[in-house]
Amino acid sequence: MGGSFDPSLIFNSIPKLLPYLHITIEILALSVGIGLLLGILIAMPKLYHIPILKEIVTVYISFIRGTPILIQLFLVFYGLPVIIGQLGIDITRMDPFYFVIITYTLSNAASFAEIFRGAISSVDYGQTEAAYSVGFTPWQNFYRIVFPQAFRVAFPNIANTSISSLKDTSLAFSIGVMDMMGRGETLITATAHAVEIYISLAIIYYVVVLIFERGFKWIEHYLNRYLVKDELSM
Amino acid sequence: MQLDIPFIWTAITEIIKALPITLVIAFTPIIIGLLIGITVAFLRMNPIKVLTPIANFYVSFYRGTPVIMHIMIIYFGLPLLVESTFGISLNFVPIAIFIIIALALNAGAYLSEIIRSGILSVSKGQIDAAYSIGMTTTETLRRIVLPQAFASALPNLTNILIGFLHATSIAFLVSVKELTGAANILASSNLKFLEAFIAAGVIYWGITIIIELVAHLIERKITAYSNTGVARD
Repeated sequence: MGGSFDPSLIFNSIPKLLPYLHITIEILALSVGIGLLLGILIAMPKLYHIPILKEIVTVYISFIRGTPILIQLFLVFYGLPVIIGQLGIDITRMDPFYFVIITYTLSNAASFAEIFRGAISSVDYGQTEAAYSVGFTPWQNFYRIVFPQAFRVAFPNIANTSISSLKDTSLAFSIGVMDMMGRGETLITATAHAVEIYISLAIIYYVVVLIFERGFKWIEHYLNRYLVKDELSM
Repeated sequence: MQLDIPFIWTAITEIIKALPITLVIAFTPIIIGLLIGITVAFLRMNPIKVLTPIANFYVSFYRGTPVIMHIMIIYFGLPLLVESTFGISLNFVPIAIFIIIALALNAGAYLSEIIRSGILSVSKGQIDAAYSIGMTTTETLRRIVLPQAFASALPNLTNILIGFLHATSIAFLVSVKELTGAANILASSNLKFLEAFIAAGVIYWGITIIIELVAHLIERKITAYSNTGVARD
């Protein structure tokens, strides 16, 4: 590497890396947002015991859980153009950013589906019976009675998954996305100082993760606001 | 572009040769990490001045930053540090050793949290009971606390194990020839990227399923004493 350790470079490169933070946050926000919606859909076949679909989502969730995110990233990056190519549309020149969004969305959706399934199963069936008895439709029952209660249970896990997803976005550069990590790689090539740049990247990620953790804790408190104090401490 | 299905099978038989390296860089860190984790967990439960804040920061920092940073900082930083302090060049050390060190430090942080919650799950009354019949602290830990802590920590340990198996794929970025690295080499030399990565994915998936099955069997065995829940099988 180019010469000895230069601590000043750690602080000098932070302002150069920060302008790329928004790409990281965009990847996170889109993949978590769409992932949540998709996750609810994927959880449905298991919750309502729909045959065939249930088996398909089981295999899907097992696959996502069973392979590294890096492999998933490569599979989407090389595989999606082949699948879409069958329809006669060429997406090989598409911005890698979208491949990253698709991969992380698919990956998060599988985790969220399992989280939602657990959380929705934790809501007492009596609530559904009560909702039907006052004339709610199944849809009304789901989004007005069951889901809000399940979401509170699911939230801490959703927060954890989102935070590990934030850390996983650091791999997006491997298919050529110019996020913070990608910018870091170019800085390393330019300065020939790798350790300092990685330390400043680590500092930024650490601070962002701490801020997100604080934010999620606050939302968790808000979601639990109507719970009685001693119920919370259990 | 057409998917070459026979090549996927050829790729699996080629890539699986890299499996031993993947398993070594996945499981060695966990064993070293267990030692770090136990030390850190005890430091955090029995506060000692200076050391406990360091332990807290260590856990929080490692859990708050991506694994790739740990790998890169150790990979580039350790040779620099050793060379400037001892004047020894680390060029002869295999890259896999750096990965193992980086992942071991990472494992230490995650495992300390799991061990801590495992130990906290054993009720204080049991420890009091052990002391009251004359057991020493070591005996209490070894015979009462740790077996139960292990049982309650097992699901988390399985997740960590799978997580590390998957984290080793990052080692390919510093050109270690593990599963992903082997897949990448095979892909570039045959220009069949999709097929090679499908093959690698299948191998990872298979190992993950095996780990889950084994964990399930162990869990049934070591929780046999447990007298909780709502149903018996």
